[in-house]
Amino acid sequence: MNPTHDEQPPFSGPGGGGQGAPPYGGTPASAAPAQAPSYPADQAFEPGGGLAWAHISKRFTWHRRISALLWAVPIGLVGGFLMSRSGGALGALLWGVAVLLSVALAWIVAELAYRSWGYAERADDLILSHGVFVKRLIVVPYGRMQFVDVTAGLLEQWLGVATVRMHTAAAATDAVIPGLPATEAAMLRDRLAQKGEERSMGL
Amino acid sequence: MRFSEGVHRLHWATAPLRAFIILIIYFVLLGFPLLLTRTESGAALVLSPEVLGRFLVVSVPMAAIAVAAGLWGWLGTRFWISGDDLVVETGMLRKRKRQVPLSRIQAIDLVRPLVTRVFSLAEVRVELAGGEKSEIVLRYLGRNAAHQLRAELLALAAGLPSHTPEAPERPLWRVGFGTLLGSLLFRLPVIGTAILFVFSLVFLVVYAELGMLAVAIPALLGLIRAVMAPLVMYANFTVAMSPDGVRLRYGLLETRMQTVPPGRVQAVSIVEPSLWRASGWARLEVTVAGYAGERQALSSVLLPVAPRHIALSLVSQVFPGTNVDAVALLPSSSKGVSLDQADGAGTDDVVFVSRHGWPCRRTDVIAHARAQSVRLTANLVQRMLGLATVHVDAPPGPVHVSAADRDLGEARAIVESTARRARAARRAGGDPGRWATR
Repeated sequence: MNPTHDEQPPFSGPGGGGQGAPPYGGTPASAAPAQAPSYPADQAFEPGGGLAWAHISKRFTWHRRISALLWAVPIGLVGGFLMSRSGGALGALLWGVAVLLSVALAWIVAELAYRSWGYAERADDLILSHGVFVKRLIVVPYGRMQFVDVTAGLLEQWLGVATVRMHTAAAATDAVIPGLPATEAAMLRDRLAQKGEERSMGL
Repeated sequence: MRFSEGVHRLHWATAPLRAFIILIIYFVLLGFPLLLTRTESGAALVLSPEVLGRFLVVSVPMAAIAVAAGLWGWLGTRFWISGDDLVVETGMLRKRKRQVPLSRIQAIDLVRPLVTRVFSLAEVRVELAGGEKSEIVLRYLGRNAAHQLRAELLALAAGLPSHTPEAPERPLWRVGFGTLLGSLLFRLPVIGTAILFVFSLVFLVVYAELGMLAVAIPALLGLIRAVMAPLVMYANFTVAMSPDGVRLRYGLLETRMQTVPPGRVQAVSIVEPSLWRASGWARLEVTVAGYAGERQALSSVLLPVAPRHIALSLVSQVFPGTNVDAVALLPSSSKGVSLDQADGAGTDDVVFVSRHGWPCRRTDVIAHARAQSVRLTANLVQRMLGLATVHVDAPPGPVHVSAADRDLGEARAIVESTARRARAARRAGGDPGRWATR
């Protein structure tokens, strides 16, 4: 589906180059049933287990960019007006340059963010990864999902994408997949809801 | 009285009490100013017939309204138990009905504010998972009725018949007043603030420097907040274990009696301020899903102070089958540069433990069966050093379990092994509701 991120080596078992970490076992007494595979450091944010990230829609970048522009126009105009009153033409010019630079930065970050998003449905949990500056990897068990919702703002609707958000009892979980094509988002929500119901249990 | 049959109302004294409170508010805001007469030198209290007449003309209708409002609230609130649900109906014209499954009860609190102790009334709070306004508050019931209601709700939630007598309890620990006071004073921030306060007072007196008040007053307020408030709140703290879960009783002016059923404690934190470690004291803080928002601050203490071994044995009772001290903690990577120096993290089949902090050491414990999700994060500095932090998420509360600054590969292995253990623990544990029938 996308050509950029397809260098996932089939990961199986221990080894695999780099400094493998020591297995993270339990207390000696409770001898862990299966030793955790030690992961090569460079694959810490990969899905693992031979899976590949499912990626979000390319239109996500356009959503980011258009909303950046929509923010930039009023901020540029109002700020420029205020700056020209206090600091003259030079102030307004500097303000304009600053806004333009921010838009350019947002433009690039949008692409990086798009590349960083990935999710994979595993047997018992959903795993997702994102983050341009702070990298995150989130593992949400299906049984812990309280509810899944799909939202789409005006701009998202126009672009035909939607945001899927998984809610657990922990606010810190924050498992969000933005920029999915609307039909795919609805299907993902239904799949997650079904899996959640099968494995659901109380708090 | 049996609550599981029929429809019930709050205690009748609720109506006059509410009317009385409304009247007091009225008197302070409007009634008293009406009694004042304006004179040349400001306002004076002159009880001439016309002033009294003016006062009565306003006050009598207000009293009638207050009584009506009190009665209205009392008549409008009804509650009953139907099957597995607790149903509470409020309002007369516009009825609002809430139906909650008993299996969703996270904790039941009995609160007795000072005013209601005169009338031997108590407030029953049923805490449910689900945010700020999700608790059910029955304000007020008679004291015995409140105990009876709590026992019946817990028995039904445990899966027992409602006429089961209240479960017996085994006292575990009682915090003496001296110990509590000593523990509150014997902390670095408190001692520091006290020294600051004394110094600023000395400055104030010796040099007649009024500017020092700007230091002295905040310091005094801080001391009151850090010592007096917890002292009043946690006075007479007792912890008891019963088949219904952990029972806490505390409070000097407002007494609270909390019951947290088994399996409802999400995570625990053992806090050891540096000065306490010398005397072997520890404090226990707890995350219970029901206590959200402001109640979290009120109800997050499981034990304000106790010898460390008592605290640890309580943790073992809350998370059966584990001993936190026996969990081997692997030290975090030496490459870490975090200020909040992480000591290490470890796990057994029941709990995930992480320890961090200096000089105040916190040991955070979460049961695998209670973990909501597992996250791996790496910020810019960590990415340069090839490190990452593993978070094991609990519902909102004072406890945040995270193994900071692990080597990347190890971190990911921790994520996978934690996810696997959590899965196994959830399978084995099942739903924490109906705990008596398992």
